[in-house]
This record gives sequence, structure tokens and C-alpha cells, in this order.
Amino acid sequence: MKEKLNAKDRIIAWPRMGRIDIPLKALVQALGAKVVIPPANSNEALEIGVRNSIEGICLPYKLNLANYIMALDKGANTLMMFQAPGSCRLGNYTKMAQKTLKQMGYDFDMVIFDMYKSKMVQTLQAFWHVTHCLNPYCYYKGFSLGFNKLFAIDTAERLLFYTRPREINKGDAEKCYHKWLKIADETNSVLKAKRLKRQVIEDFKKIPIDKNKKVPKVYLTGEFFVLLDPYTNQNIEKELGEMGVEVQRQIMFSDWLEHVLKPSIFYRKESHRKRCVRYAKQYMKRAIGGECIETIGDTVYAAKHGIDGIIHISPFSCMPEIVAQNILPKVSKNENIPVLSLVLDEQTGKAGYLTRIEAFIDLIKRRKNNY
Amino acid sequence: MKQQLIYKKIGIPKALSYYNNYPFYYGFFTSLGVEIVLSDKTTTAIINTGTKYVVSDTCLPIKVYAGHIINLLDKGCEAIFIPSLQSTGYKINNCSKIRGLPEIIRNVINRPFTMIEPTLDKTENINFYDFCAETAKALGITDKKEIKKAISFGWEIYDKFMEMTQSGINYKEALDNAINGKFIKKTVDIVKPLSVVIMGHGYNLFDERISLNLIKKLEKMNVKVYTSLNIPREKSLSALKQLGEVQYWANELELTGTAAYYLLKKKVDGIIALSAFGCGPDSLMVDEISYHCKEKGMPLIHLTIDEHTGEAGFVTRIEAFIDMLMRKKRSLIVKKADVVKIKREKILTGTVK
Repeated sequence: MKEKLNAKDRIIAWPRMGRIDIPLKALVQALGAKVVIPPANSNEALEIGVRNSIEGICLPYKLNLANYIMALDKGANTLMMFQAPGSCRLGNYTKMAQKTLKQMGYDFDMVIFDMYKSKMVQTLQAFWHVTHCLNPYCYYKGFSLGFNKLFAIDTAERLLFYTRPREINKGDAEKCYHKWLKIADETNSVLKAKRLKRQVIEDFKKIPIDKNKKVPKVYLTGEFFVLLDPYTNQNIEKELGEMGVEVQRQIMFSDWLEHVLKPSIFYRKESHRKRCVRYAKQYMKRAIGGECIETIGDTVYAAKHGIDGIIHISPFSCMPEIVAQNILPKVSKNENIPVLSLVLDEQTGKAGYLTRIEAFIDLIKRRKNNY
Repeated sequence: MKQQLIYKKIGIPKALSYYNNYPFYYGFFTSLGVEIVLSDKTTTAIINTGTKYVVSDTCLPIKVYAGHIINLLDKGCEAIFIPSLQSTGYKINNCSKIRGLPEIIRNVINRPFTMIEPTLDKTENINFYDFCAETAKALGITDKKEIKKAISFGWEIYDKFMEMTQSGINYKEALDNAINGKFIKKTVDIVKPLSVVIMGHGYNLFDERISLNLIKKLEKMNVKVYTSLNIPREKSLSALKQLGEVQYWANELELTGTAAYYLLKKKVDGIIALSAFGCGPDSLMVDEISYHCKEKGMPLIHLTIDEHTGEAGFVTRIEAFIDMLMRKKRSLIVKKADVVKIKREKILTGTVK
């Protein structure tokens, strides 16, 4: 950038991942900056991403790049992104995106913070750099709003997974979920945000459900971005829910963020990652980056806690998940739990994908009735 | 008093880290008194066996690795050395598949054998000495003096090997000489009309089956070939910095560093990038270098290999690339010659004062 951007002139954007936009928007707005939210991932976004990135890169990057381009077109001039060197190609995303966007002739400032081994300090620095906000109350308000919204959204999502296969009137749970997403987005005071979670739980309780229905339970594991992004995973949670399957997903955004940001002294209970490392011990002795160890650990955990099946999804050529794919057949055999591995790329046809899921669910149901 | 060894023989598969680190491994294990059993050369049969064990999305080098492990087990090896090279510097990590090599092998091959699986992870403060000590401990040696002696002997052989390759001796000759304790130096350097640099991982490039004998094929076409072994690591690192890049991958110097060095020196006529299909780090590194190549006007070809690569198509692409380089160079020379000719004519006719 030729001349330095004033904090006041900054218009901030970040790539989409799940519903991260709601809490981040709250945080940045509390710090007094303007925000642009790129449109949700769609075929159009993917096309833009594919056109401007190299062939061999993984799917999340293509979508991230498309988000940047769309946000810049909408008037953003500051892009934010975290990186985690040492995990996988993710650490290279920002570097590549910066180069590609500069080549395309965009003028912008990219603020990057490490999520690996320096965490909280760098995160705060990044937000300070973007907003130049000195008021500690604003930080308190922002983070508190952000986290509370995040927890509320995650709770809503968990309840949605539980309610969807059991609901009597089709579509109730979905409607309720979207309603709360909207409310969470609009909430603007800390007190109200703190109350959100309880309100969500109460509201979901009101939906009439069939409590005695026998519902098979499926764990979703795999790559973080693909799990959280409904466009990329072709809305697998909804499809499964409508097939009458309860989905459980262990990787939630708030859990991950808490694990990453919180110093380990403040942990009240065992974090998800630690549990995974403990359960995966028989199969893996070391973490190898990405979410590989989480995938394996969750599979073993699921097998020991009465879950009926595992669906493992990953983008094409994702390195850590290929290792997981290699390990999963043995886990499946030893722990006696069916596993379906799905690989996604920009050309995945939905029909073939659904057929495989349906066949898998049939298998689970038959297996469950036999025992 | 000498400690009792648990395993007298140790198997090392001829794949992945073998190609870059074998001189060190050889010195280290022989100094400890352990005999090394190597697997056979990579063949199509080995690749096919390896492919049966791992999932189809896995890249070729890992498939080859699994094939070599089976080959070693068929030879009757009880202990196999499978290192997990997590990171070679602070926040400089390897590819996940190399990091999790022992995890893959443990879970895909269901045959009884002992894995010697030391970890090298400088980000987590597991240093090189710990790596060696872990290996020695698995073999039954905990004496610090002996381990240190073995390490220094390993480095001695490795340094000799590197010095030989840097003087221009080819990989195989240098390896044989280093292991036999000999030292030779190339004195005469034959000048060839064209020279290229191949950027590729050692385990792809020096494996004659995987690379389809690329180096020899190029030499037959009268092309001088440079590889990552021809330059010291420091030089490639500084070249990388000069281009404005930061080292991110542990084996980045083999690819980007080497290419950057020759790109800046303008010593070569073209760059050949050799990578396995679906290789994560390579996809980024080749892109990075091709960006700089475009800026500097250096021709680059990206060759992708997998287990099905047909040799005929491969050769055609290389030939076409070399032909193109030749034509480019010739036209440059002709242009220069023309300039000289015109000048001479002008002098003769007296138009130039």
C-alpha cells in the first residue's frame, strides 16, 4: 500500500467459514470499525475461486480467495485472516492470496495473525492494528459479545441436530434455527447476548418432537472448513437430518476457538483435542497437523459411546485427512464401527454423493436392528 | 563395557528420507554396530504392492514406501527404521504424510515387526540429538558417549557425500564412494550446449523408477543437469530470501531454494519441476517459482508423475521442452552474431568512426 490507511477509513472483511461472520462482525463493530461481509459461498463464488487459483490447491483456499475478491469488489480495503504455520497448507493461504490479489490489481491491506504458539497476544495485536481502539471496555464488549453469540449459535446448531430427525412438523427446527441466527446477529448488548444461550434452549424445547422415535446417531468428522461450511459439504447435516438421522459433530467453532485462544491453566474440563489425543493413542502417537488426530480420536470415542456410524469428509488432496483415511479402516475394524469416507472437490455431483450416504444409512439401520 | 544390542540388523526402505539422509544413517548405524538391510530398487512390482495397502488418494512416494516396507518384511527384517521428521526448524514443518509416516505404516500393514520410530520436531524442542538418542535407545544403546561418537561419524560421511556432489559428481557415484570411505573430486567439467535445473524432492528425482530415469535421459540429450545436491543449503536459503520468499516447508530448499539459486545466477537455460500427483507442498512451491520465472523470463515445465505415468508421453514432453530451449538459445546466439557482422561491415565500409 502506498499511503498508510487510517483506522477510520478501514473497511474490514474476512473469509467465510460456517457462521463465523456473526460473532466477528459484533467484535469488530464494537471496536468501532466498518465491516463488509462477503456473500455466502455458492457456485458463483467457487467459479471465481477456481479461475484465479492454481490447480493443485485444496478447496478451502479456492473459496477463501473468492470471498476476498467478492469482499474487495464490495468496497473492503482490509482483509483479515488467521494462519497456523505447522498445520498444513493453511499456513500458506495468506501468502498466496496476497500475491494473487496483487497480481489482479487490487489495493488492500492484509492483517494476519498466527493461531499457533502465540495466540491471544497476536490476536489482540491484529485487532488493535486494524481498529486502533484503546478503550478496554470496547474490547471487553466485543469479545464478550462475540463469544456469547458464538456459544448461542453453536448451541442452536447442536439442538437443531437433535430436533431435526425427531420433529413432528417438518421444518420447525430449521425455522427456529434461522430465527435465532437472525436474533443473534441483531443483538447489540452484552447482557442480552449473555441471555441468548438460555433463550435458544428454551425455544427449541417448545418444538413438538417424537421422543420415543428410534434414531440412528452418526458422527461427522473430518476437515474443519468442510465440516463447518454448508455449501462445501452440500448441506450434509440437513440431508442426514431429513433422512431421520441424528447428526453429532464434535468440532464446533467455539470449542476450537476456546482451545486455541484460552491459556491452558483456565481449562475447567478436558478439551476436545486432549480427549482425542487420549483416545487415539492406540493408533497415533503424535499429532501430524490438521485435524487428523481429532478424526481418529473422535471415531474411537464414538465407537465406545454407542454411536452407530462415522461419516468422514475431507476436501480432495487434503494431506492430514489422507493420513486419517489410511488409518480409519483399521479403527473401523478394531472398534467395530462403520465408517464412510467422502472426498469433496469442486466437481462433486450431488446425486452420487447422496446415493452413497443413503446406502450407508441403510447399512447402519439394518445393523442396528440386528443387534 | 559395550552395551548389548537388541537388534543386530535394521531395515531401511529405499524411499523418502533414504535418498537425502542415507549417508548419515549409514555412518550412524555402522558406528553403533548395527547392520543395515536395504530394500531392493523400486520396481513396478514394488509400487503395485504398495498401492494395495494404502488408499488411492495417497501420493506416489508413500505408496512406494509401503511397497518397500513389504519388500523388507519379505526379506525377513525384524526391525525397520521409520523416522517421523516433523519439523526441521522452528515453525518449518514437513508435509503431513511424512510427519505421520509411522502412523500410516502402523495402521496399514498388519504384519508383526518392530518399528523404530524416532521423532524430530524442532518446533516442540525435540532436537537432533534426541532424535538420534531415541533411535539408539530402541536398539538398546543408552550410552551418551557412544551415541555422540556415532552422530559425528554419521556427519563425517554425510559431509563427504555432500562435498562430492557439490563438486559435480552424480548422486549414485557419490553415495557409493562416501559409503566406502573414499573421496573423489571432479576436475574436468565438460561444457554442454544446454543446462537445466531440476527442482524435485530427492526421493522422486534420484529414484530411477519414479523419475523414469529423467536425469540420464536429459544427459543423453546432451543437457547438463543441476540438482539440489549441487549447491550448499545456505546458498539456496539466501537465494530464496533474495527472491523475497520465506521458507515454510522443511524440504522447500530442495525445490524453491535450488530453483531460486539458479534463477538468480542465470546459470541455466530452463527449469524442470518434477512432482508427484497430489503433492500438497509441491503444488504451492511450483506455483511460487513459476511466478518468479514469468517475471524473469525463464522457461519452466511442470512434470507430474504418478504410478501410471506412461514413459512415451513423458519423453515427448521433455524432448519438446529441450527443443524449445535449444531454439531459444540459438536465436539469441544468431542475433549476437548478426550484430557483430553488421559492425564489421560498417567498419570495412568506413561508416563507423
